[in-house]
Amino acid sequence: MNRSVWEQPGSLAEAFWKNGAADIPIYDMHGHMGSHNAIFFARCEAPEMVAHMRRLGVRRLVFSHHYSLMGSFRNARVHEITARFPDILRMYVSINPHQPDFIAEDLAQYDRLAPLAIGFKFLPDYHKVKVTDPRYEAALNFASARRLPILVHTWGGSAFNGADVMLEAATRYPQATFFMGHSFSGDWDGAKRVAEACPNVYFELTSLPGQHTVIERLCADIGSHRLLFGTDMPWFDEYQHVGGVLSADISEDDKHNILYRNVEKLLGKDW
Amino acid sequence: MNDIMFFDAQCQIGVPMLGGDRGGRSAAELLAEMDRNGVDKALVAHGNTEAAGAVFANADLLELIQADDAAGRLTGVWTILPAQCGELPPPAELFARMAANRIGALNLFPVAHRWQACRLTVGRLLDAAAERRVPVILSPPVMDGAWRGVYDFLREFPAATVIVAKLGLWGSDRNIRPLLENFPGCYVELSEYWVPEGIADLARRYGADRLLYASGYPRFGHGSTMLSIRHSGLPLEQVRQIAGQNLERLLARAQLA
Ligand SMILES: [Zn+2]
Repeated sequence: MNRSVWEQPGSLAEAFWKNGAADIPIYDMHGHMGSHNAIFFARCEAPEMVAHMRRLGVRRLVFSHHYSLMGSFRNARVHEITARFPDILRMYVSINPHQPDFIAEDLAQYDRLAPLAIGFKFLPDYHKVKVTDPRYEAALNFASARRLPILVHTWGGSAFNGADVMLEAATRYPQATFFMGHSFSGDWDGAKRVAEACPNVYFELTSLPGQHTVIERLCADIGSHRLLFGTDMPWFDEYQHVGGVLSADISEDDKHNILYRNVEKLLGKDW
Repeated sequence: MNDIMFFDAQCQIGVPMLGGDRGGRSAAELLAEMDRNGVDKALVAHGNTEAAGAVFANADLLELIQADDAAGRLTGVWTILPAQCGELPPPAELFARMAANRIGALNLFPVAHRWQACRLTVGRLLDAAAERRVPVILSPPVMDGAWRGVYDFLREFPAATVIVAKLGLWGSDRNIRPLLENFPGCYVELSEYWVPEGIADLARRYGADRLLYASGYPRFGHGSTMLSIRHSGLPLEQVRQIAGQNLERLLARAQLA
């Protein structure tokens, strides 16, 4: 029997298999926090999440709080939580298009939320509002003016955040940087189309590592230099998702790009 | 793997009616992926059973395995149907055929195959399977009412040895913990259990012997759950149980012949 992917000398996979960590940072660009209506999370508060991530060397988790996305928890309170773990946590300011007064307040106080806040999080499928709807305009204009990233939940075939509508948004706001959460899950042709048309777009991998041949296809169609690692923490185990990247049939360079290099090229090492 | 034996509790081969598969059209494709990831053995079902039916799938699975699996690394899963139509032989004969053909477990697709999974239809077979400790694989997506169907089945056959499979990617603790607590013969496979630190939490609460490594191939790959089990934080002895020893024991103790 040939050596397995975990036994390739000097590889990231070998290091993670043997030691549970490697000599690289991991940037997890898609996290959440707090309990969830439909899922029991035993470890969804900052201390437990941070303890889990430290085991394999996650350098940054950028998260949006479930209570801000689904409830009325304000982003200023998320900032307080983030500030308790400044060596690892960063936040996205959650945008709920049904709460224009919350959005106005958050844009006005953005300079106090930064630098721990690095951009915005949109969840259009859940809020049932198209990204191109006027209710997102204030946040989009703000992100565009300051060249901030926006993590948008995307999904194949969605009228709210599928490939067609996201292509329109990314074209309309070329100064903003879009992180396409879940990379249009299932609509790989759509992801390719958006990648070709919009240079201001990255593709975030939450829920895809572990799905057979998907990362391979995204590397081939889009290129590993535009993929970002994410886990939906506390939804998905870091080892499971890192394991999905490491065991994918892609090059060692692709794995380095996904886990940290692309983020460091985009945001630097000091943020 | 050299240091840990992995025995995959849930994967599929066969050509799906609607295409769109990500591999596993032959046993050779599955075995190549197992080698690439370092998986030793697998319990494998037919991936097109829902569409093509139990009669075709049970026969085709044997042909696929026998065509490529010279080393005997694959154990098959056969699909059951109601006794009254005589599409499968009576229990004793079915078990003897399973033993003769390296089939180690049973599964069922009551919604797709249009029957009721209960004592009236498969009582005699399931009682015999429970007595002989032959594992039955139950998965919410193919049961009437999803989790409701899994619960009904276990209430109807509380002594059965059951592997609950395809838990869904949304954390399933609210559904699996009550089953593990109430049915000592219930095991869960982990191909879709991606909860952070969740494997260790389940093992501490219900015992590492209740958890089984699985890939979910070809929808999922082999490697990701290998790494999450390897670094679950459990002692190596329990990691080895979950990776492969539990399934090996379950299959070995089944009295088919
Ligand atoms: Zn998310």
